[in-house]
This record gives sequence, structure tokens and C-alpha cells, in this order.
Amino acid sequence: MSAGHLIELGSVFLILIGTVAGSLSAIGFIRLPDVYNRAHALAKSCTLGVLFVLLGTFLFFLFVERYFSIKLFLGIFFVFLTSPVAAHMTCRAAYRSKVPLAEISVRDDLKEAMSREYNCEQKGGA
Amino acid sequence: MIKVMLYLSTGFVTLSILVSIYRLIKGPSTPERTQALDALGINMIAGMGVFSVILRSTAFFEVILLLGILSFIGTIALAKYMERGVVIERRSSD
Amino acid sequence: MPMQVLINLFIGLLWMFFQNDWSALSFLSGYLFGLCVLFVIRRFLRSKFYLFTLHAVISLFLLFIWEMFISSILVIRKIITPQIRIKPGIVAMETSLEGDIEVTLLALLITLTPGSVVMEVSPDYKILYTHVMDIPELSDAVLRSRNRFEEAIKKVTRK
Repeated sequence: MSAGHLIELGSVFLILIGTVAGSLSAIGFIRLPDVYNRAHALAKSCTLGVLFVLLGTFLFFLFVERYFSIKLFLGIFFVFLTSPVAAHMTCRAAYRSKVPLAEISVRDDLKEAMSREYNCEQKGGA
Repeated sequence: MIKVMLYLSTGFVTLSILVSIYRLIKGPSTPERTQALDALGINMIAGMGVFSVILRSTAFFEVILLLGILSFIGTIALAKYMERGVVIERRSSD
Repeated sequence: MPMQVLINLFIGLLWMFFQNDWSALSFLSGYLFGLCVLFVIRRFLRSKFYLFTLHAVISLFLLFIWEMFISSILVIRKIITPQIRIKPGIVAMETSLEGDIEVTLLALLITLTPGSVVMEVSPDYKILYTHVMDIPELSDAVLRSRNRFEEAIKKVTRK
């Protein structure tokens, strides 16, 4: 068993771990109760899975095919940077379009702030 | 061994894409559908990575980059649209 | 800081001229020499020596990756427990950071910490409304990690 073979096996193993993490977070899409909780699964586990897959691909092509791909590196960076932003935007849009929280929720600090803002806008408009 | 692991990972990616499609069809509200589309895009990126290792070809890296950018921009545009009813905000001219 | 990088590149180029040797190696040695010069005169520069800023940026990036790893393990553990017993909710958090860049970085980092997603920022950038996945277990941890992130971000952006 040579070193090259070992590196190949390692990077393929990274890919496998990434896809397992992605499918586990996909199970979370079914089981978690509302939009806001699903955003946790999307922003963290799913992105971590994709990062592992892309890292495994990067290492595979670097060590097995001797090909350094800056494009793949940019892709990793971009996915890593944009997934929290996407989760934040969908959560915000969901709250603004009045999707209710799940019934097991225990606390909501944003409600009064939103109603205060709404009242201010009403006064300013009138 | 490596072949088996790679085919297993395509199976996992397929599973997560199917779950995202289920959520896309069933999801009771529009933000949930947007979220499912985002998850679908991210899982497609993972699938492209796995395929480029199976085929040992570097031709799919552009696809990875473009899918990442397109899925992000699509999510942002949909979220903006749901929030305000417009995609690009302009200063109100007064 | 961009001025310092420019001066450093200039010193490297000058070094290459002095050596009369047009190769990447002599440029690199000149660049390292320029780093030494800038390090010696760092007291007279107006801003901080740029390697320190670079170090702070790199350590912030490593913090990003580490937090992401920890938090996704936690979320996966919550997902695969047979019965999901969570008490989610929205918590208001105050922040002492100012300006667009600092608040944006903090919101990104908090979104990556265990079980919290930033949902709304108040218009004066003072309060972050955060959705926490399990309030009794996690709210203290979120507050603690917010303090750590504020320290790390101030090291990058403040002088």
C-alpha cells in the first residue's frame, strides 16, 4: 500500500463523510418543526457536508492527478461565505411574512420590537 | 473499495436531494420552499464534486462555481421578493 | 495598511535591482528584507504593522472554521436523537460593535455558532435578534461565544 494510494483513500473517505453529513441534515429537514429550526440544519450541517466533499475533491485532484484547481478553491470559499447569509435572509423573510413559530417555542423577543417598529411607521406615515 | 465508497456517496447525495424535493413540494409556506431550493442547490454542488472524482475529469469545476453563485443569488432574490415585494430596492424618489 | 504593502513591494523591487538578478528568488529575499525593515520602523508608522493585522485575520478565519465544525456536530446530534426535545425561541442580544463591517462579521460568526441564527438587526446596529435552537441549554454558551467573537473582530478592525 503506497502513500499515493493512502492519500486517494483518505480523500474519498472525506467525500463519504461529507455526503453522510449532508444526508443527516436532510433528515433534519423532515423532522424539525418549523422554518427557523430548519435554517439551523441548512446553515451548518449541510454546508459542512459540502465543504467536506469539495475539500476531498480538491485533495484528490491535487495529489492523484497533480492538478491544483484555483476554481475549486474559490468555490469552497464562496459556499462557506454565503450559506450563513442565505439562512439569515430566508429567516428574516419568513418572520416578516408572518410564518408562525413552532408551538414548542418558549420565547419571542422580536415580536414586541416588530410591533413597535410597525407603530412608528404608522405614525410617520400619518 | 474506492469505487464502492464513491457510489455509496452518490446514494447519500441522491437521498438528500429527494428529501429537499419533498420539502419543496410539501412545504406549507413560501420561505420553506425557498429554503428547500437552497438546500437543493447545495446538494447539487456536492453531487458535482462526487461526479468529477468518479469520472476523474476537471471539466465540472466551472459547474460547481456557477451553481454556488446561482443558488445564492436565487435565494437572495426570492427572499427579497417575499420581504418587500421588490427584488432590487431603489431610493424612493421624492 | 495598503501603503505598507506598497512600500514593502517597492523595497523588494529595489532589492532586485541592487542584486542585478531578475528572478523570483531575489525578489522574495528582498520582500523578506522589507518585512524586517517595516518591523523595525513600526513605531513610526501611522497604522499597525500589517503582519499583525494579517495574523488577526487568519486567526479569525480559523475561528470561523472551528465554530462551524463544532456547531454542525451539535445540530446533527440534536437531529438524530430519537425524540426531538428542544425549546427554540428568539433572544435579543446587545452588541458593542459599530459600523457595517464589524456588525456583518459578528452576524456571520453568530450564525455559525452552535444553535443560533441571526434573524434581524435593529436599525441602529445595537441589538441582534437571534433564533436559538434550545434556550435552556444554549443561551449562556451563545452569550459567551459572542464576547469571544467581539474580541477577535476588534483585533482586526480597530487599531
